[in-house]
Amino acid sequence: MKLLKSMMALQARDGAISDEALNTLSKKEDVPLYRLEGLRSFYPVFKTTPSTAKRVQVCRDIVCRMRGGSDYCARVREALAGAEDVEVEEVSCIGRCDSAPAALVEEVPVSGDPERVSAYAAGRLELPAHQPALTGERWATDPYSRDDEHYATLGAYLARDDAAQARDEIIQTLKDSGLRGLGGAAFPAGMKWDFTRRAAGEPKYVICNADESEPGTFKDRVILEANAHLLIEAMILAGWVIGSHRGVIYLRHEYLPERETLQRAIDDAYQRGALGADVLGSGFAFELEVFVSPGGYILGEETALLEALEDKRGEPRNKPPFPTNAGLWGKPTLMNNVETFAAVPIILARGAQWWADQGRDRHKGLKYVCVSGDVAKPGVYCIPWGMTVAEVLDLCGGVPGGKALKAFSPGGSSTNFLPAKLADVPMDFDALAQAGSAMGTAAMVFVAEGRDMVGLALSQVRFFRNESCGKCVPCRVGSHKAVQIVERCQAAPSGADQYPVLEELDATLAKTSICGLGQVALGPLMSVFRFFPDEAGVAALRGRAGGKT
Amino acid sequence: MSEASASKTVTLTIDGRRVSVPEGTTIWEAARGLGIDIPVLCHSTRMRPVGVCRMCVVDVGARTLPASCVRPCENDMEVDTRSAEVQRHRRVLTQLLLADQPEESAREASTGDDELMALARQFDIADIPYPDGARQRPRGADASSPVIAVDHQACILCDRCIRACDELQHNDVITRTGKGYDTRIAFDLDAPMGESTCVSCGECMAVCPTGALTNKAVAGLKIEPAA
Repeated sequence: MKLLKSMMALQARDGAISDEALNTLSKKEDVPLYRLEGLRSFYPVFKTTPSTAKRVQVCRDIVCRMRGGSDYCARVREALAGAEDVEVEEVSCIGRCDSAPAALVEEVPVSGDPERVSAYAAGRLELPAHQPALTGERWATDPYSRDDEHYATLGAYLARDDAAQARDEIIQTLKDSGLRGLGGAAFPAGMKWDFTRRAAGEPKYVICNADESEPGTFKDRVILEANAHLLIEAMILAGWVIGSHRGVIYLRHEYLPERETLQRAIDDAYQRGALGADVLGSGFAFELEVFVSPGGYILGEETALLEALEDKRGEPRNKPPFPTNAGLWGKPTLMNNVETFAAVPIILARGAQWWADQGRDRHKGLKYVCVSGDVAKPGVYCIPWGMTVAEVLDLCGGVPGGKALKAFSPGGSSTNFLPAKLADVPMDFDALAQAGSAMGTAAMVFVAEGRDMVGLALSQVRFFRNESCGKCVPCRVGSHKAVQIVERCQAAPSGADQYPVLEELDATLAKTSICGLGQVALGPLMSVFRFFPDEAGVAALRGRAGGKT
Repeated sequence: MSEASASKTVTLTIDGRRVSVPEGTTIWEAARGLGIDIPVLCHSTRMRPVGVCRMCVVDVGARTLPASCVRPCENDMEVDTRSAEVQRHRRVLTQLLLADQPEESAREASTGDDELMALARQFDIADIPYPDGARQRPRGADASSPVIAVDHQACILCDRCIRACDELQHNDVITRTGKGYDTRIAFDLDAPMGESTCVSCGECMAVCPTGALTNKAVAGLKIEPAA
């Protein structure tokens, strides 16, 4: 953390990290130059040459392409062509899909057509003030009706004189609740807490993964801004249960406005005595800090995140060992996603049965979904587990313009597209898997009739290609070749069937890549072959003429 | 077997043969002990395994195929090191790497031991179904060192030179620079090799499996494969 923090400070001070600055840092920290070069060149926030130009970062990914047009980035560039002192950069999803098309002007999120974005950039329009998520309103997963009740669940556990049993109960309640990791991997939370508690090694760490960066995903941004106290409370509880005294919230750097809210909530917890050397007078110590990521989707992969915290290039580790046993600095580490942690206080406050009752039928609990794409009211919605995709679409005002639904991606770029006829599938891990897709990050992207599915799928594959860390061969080379194969065929159809080679590549990436990024990289494209075989775009890739849109 | 403890053993089956090995032994090492050669490009017995080339993947009955050079043996594991599926993936991985290789291997032309070319022969690869990434050699070369020729186009990012430089020799010069498909090796703060702190020890070149780091012909003496 120390080196990357020093480098981020240099970047902030000078607008770049020069060789000279790294030479000095190398001597000061006694770190060889090669390591600093490895870091500077890996993380997107680091630049090598300073610039005084205003930075405009335009999202190039699926939802902004849908809402702003597939040439959105090019048009923003065009609109700013004559502007002095403005630099336009195309970047991966910035997590503002609910206000797509979106861009960052000097790190401030803005939204709108190219003319509007260029007006912000050129200073003709004042940059918009941050619109916080509804913080005054009580959320369905917040057990507290008043601010002064915050941390009461934690307090009740810490006050018990049978601490060992209280810890057992917490783990059992989490297991009974059926709570699973909601960052995409779906590992049972109670088991993870249990493994880390039992793991040998000191010190232990509690980490919150707040690095959601997958196109269409923005639920954690809203949850951590509106309910930071729940996340903080759960992390302290986790520390108490597993025997850890240090927590880190790993936050994506584009969430700067939300970072301030989060920091205020942490400060508030310290003031209340819920954080610090003597948590609520119990003698238990727990310190919590925010680490702002120097950028890149791959850092959301848990072991890449750990590498970053250890001041290395954020490249995923081979597993096993798993972080529960060998995480940060090789020590037992409990890492959960924002939404997973934030669900813990209410589950403990009201019990596993109450949580189970919130779901539909056999499904347990409440779920936050982030909805975007061709939908009237994009945003974050809290739904009972088991609500169908069609019902979620209704909840969000349906497809605008009276158009019919063509397809949907239930869980983000890493999940397969499904056709509209499957919209009665419940939002549930198993049901979505059976339908041929996955829950992923619950980034539901709805697609209206008339959209080109190959174009959308290609943008997903491009995202993974762009965000590949480059560590392993299948992902680094395979994702690039797949994009090239599709792009070349679109530019100049060869008449040859590209499916067999893409299918073979997909199998190799899925089976041999080190981490989930490479394993799923071609999934969305393959799902379009499977579910939309009659598309014109698919016909072109298969070397056939015709097809419909 | 850096993490192996002599006190405990694990027993597993590799290609139908039962074997007991000290706990912490990798599948690759255990197979080797049985005389089973699992192909690998990034691993070397002299180094800490990193599992990046994925050539040594094996089937252990899991959702994905782990790299045997980093995966420790477990009790009752059933390992298949050369199923048809495993071999198919190795072939694809070899083709992916070959798609970006220069026409001629500088290693094959000098010491004659290019390990990627050997795999290409082993898998009998005649055609490569992926777009050619080597035309005009976009990755470039670095001729600045008096003794070591660097051809980034032939580099497969196996990490051997990096571990050789930083962990075997402790010269601390080589890193990966960049990210994703554009990643390449670099010296110090991405200086030309000849202007870097490289001491020309030659370890990187000795461990390189391809034509990326090769010995420059000095004093007019041509280096040729042994007869």
